[in-house]
Amino acid sequence: MSKPRVGIFGLTGCAGDQLVILNCEDRLLDIVALIDVRDFLMASSENDAACPLDVALVEGAVASRRDAERLRAIRNRAKTLVALGTCAVWGGVAAMDRGADRRKLLEEVYGEAGLRYDAAPTQALHEVVKVDLNITGCPIEKDQFLAAIAHLLAGNTPIYPAYPVCTECRMLENNCLLIERGELCCGPITAAGCNARCPNLRIPCVGCRGPVADANASSLLATLEEKGLDRQRIAARLATFAPEGVAQRS
Amino acid sequence: MKTVVIEHLARVEGHGGITVELEGDTVGSVRFDVFEGARLLEPLVRGKRYDEVAAILSRICSICSVAHSLTSLKATENAFEVRVSPQTELLRELLYRGESIESHALHLFLLALPDYLDYPSATALAADRPAAVLLGLRLKKLGNSIQEAIGGRAIHPVNAVPGGFGRAPAVEQLIELRNGLIEGVADAKAAIDLMASLPAADFCHSDTIYAALRANVDSYYAGDEVAVVSDGGQTIVPAADYRTLTNERSVPHSHARHSRFQGKPFMVGSLARLSVNPGRLSGSLAAPAARLDFRLPAGNPMDNNKAQALELAGDVERALEIIEQLLRARIRDEPPAPVHPRAATGTAITEAPRGLLIHSYTYDGEGRILSADVITPTALNAASLEAHLRQTVEQCAERDDAVIAKRLQMIARAYDPCISCSAHLVRRR
Repeated sequence: MSKPRVGIFGLTGCAGDQLVILNCEDRLLDIVALIDVRDFLMASSENDAACPLDVALVEGAVASRRDAERLRAIRNRAKTLVALGTCAVWGGVAAMDRGADRRKLLEEVYGEAGLRYDAAPTQALHEVVKVDLNITGCPIEKDQFLAAIAHLLAGNTPIYPAYPVCTECRMLENNCLLIERGELCCGPITAAGCNARCPNLRIPCVGCRGPVADANASSLLATLEEKGLDRQRIAARLATFAPEGVAQRS
Repeated sequence: MKTVVIEHLARVEGHGGITVELEGDTVGSVRFDVFEGARLLEPLVRGKRYDEVAAILSRICSICSVAHSLTSLKATENAFEVRVSPQTELLRELLYRGESIESHALHLFLLALPDYLDYPSATALAADRPAAVLLGLRLKKLGNSIQEAIGGRAIHPVNAVPGGFGRAPAVEQLIELRNGLIEGVADAKAAIDLMASLPAADFCHSDTIYAALRANVDSYYAGDEVAVVSDGGQTIVPAADYRTLTNERSVPHSHARHSRFQGKPFMVGSLARLSVNPGRLSGSLAAPAARLDFRLPAGNPMDNNKAQALELAGDVERALEIIEQLLRARIRDEPPAPVHPRAATGTAITEAPRGLLIHSYTYDGEGRILSADVITPTALNAASLEAHLRQTVEQCAERDDAVIAKRLQMIARAYDPCISCSAHLVRRR
């Protein structure tokens, strides 16, 4: 069997999900032995920018016309398109601005020249093209990425936890930051998979993995309000990494 | 007239390109273009509470997320006059060293090394020279193991908060790191040997101006004065006056806003740090420096790669010392120092792996951000990189596009640019 052809791409973001791939130090050479990486600009200066791909892994959000064009071209080449990371899946931190006057912000940061930039409101990949698989996280978790590669090689689709960070945190028997300390923890509505990294360090979850499928944001909002937290502050915190996703679920 | 264009620079973080115009033997415009999407994170953090800012602004960049995170915390703590514990200082410095080890190993082995040996990538190189690539991956993993243990995650640390840490690492974790670092000492030495064995990359000579934190202790995190070195002279810029370093100005050909000091481009990063603090090359780094034939003042920007290798060796050693110190002082779990928000401005400058990083915030009385300013090393380096790209072409005797293109890419990579980091300042096209 010939090796599947894979492309790894970054749109607008921090390159953290591509870095997670390069951070699989113990597996990196095994991975490249099993797949045929044809296009990976961050790691190679020899790329085939046109060949058909079995799998395209795309991180980052769509934040310009150029991003949208690149993404459509990648979609056209790829049998399976995987959104890698919270920016690709949900829009990420830069999507906080969707309600803001973008021209004003551009002018503020870049001066008058900003008004001529190719810049569009930040979008998740699925708002522009069809996405076949989402691997969320800011950044993605290494084991979830490796599982995805193994599954895709076997012709399967990986299944990720359908429960929230809260469940992982309880299994670790941590004291609850939300109930016991009244802290603004997004654990109850955030997709698991990080093994409750933050609450396990006594730090409230900021929701960087985006909402879990059956997130009940309005119930969390009510609980936090009972704890005396300001509604506006709660809403802003919940909307930091995946504003649209949380809005749909409240 | 003809142009040499590197459409999309590979083996760097982010999206950028190089365009050089040649008119016979005369070099016309030389541009380092950035086509990273605009994320506008600085205005987006306006209104955010002081305890939310670091987690958002670390997302500017993955490779230097620890630097962004800790510089952000330091700016906030400076605004509110928070004094952190000596243990927190040590843990933060250890976290910084971890990031620097990972970042330098990533850059030297996966991004820069293939150029010297004529391979397109480290994975292609691994087919013929597996030991060299595995050495780099081990060092890279060592840096990540520190970031995992101290920061709670290798990318976008979660454990560092205003005033300190969520939870201190356990003694067993530190002992495990120590064991890894002891092996790392030999690996760092092997990295120096490997670098010393590479063909010379000597095709750009320049009287470069360097800027770095002047530190009386060997730390990326301490110090609040920047020293600018040129022709043996030093000018000192206090942190609060950082704008004299970054008085960005428009460049007519590109609408870029480039940083200049007294009208001249300057370079930041490993080479600048060693140029500003040459004392670091005494002691245990003296022999490796001699082995690499590394001399100051450095007139070749490619020496930034050698400087990174030297820092890598120094970082492994220093990380080991910090762990010994933490173990001797009986590290304990302690709550973060109390934070009392007030209306104030706080500025912090640290040395990110790629050079000076500045975060400056103004807060209202409730501890909400009124304005945020972030200046990254890649943005500070943009003008200097363009100058060195120009000199590279001017000094290239062969008017062969392939030779010119290869040299341009090697110079650009030697700067280790982190293009998503160049949050603002540089032109988008």
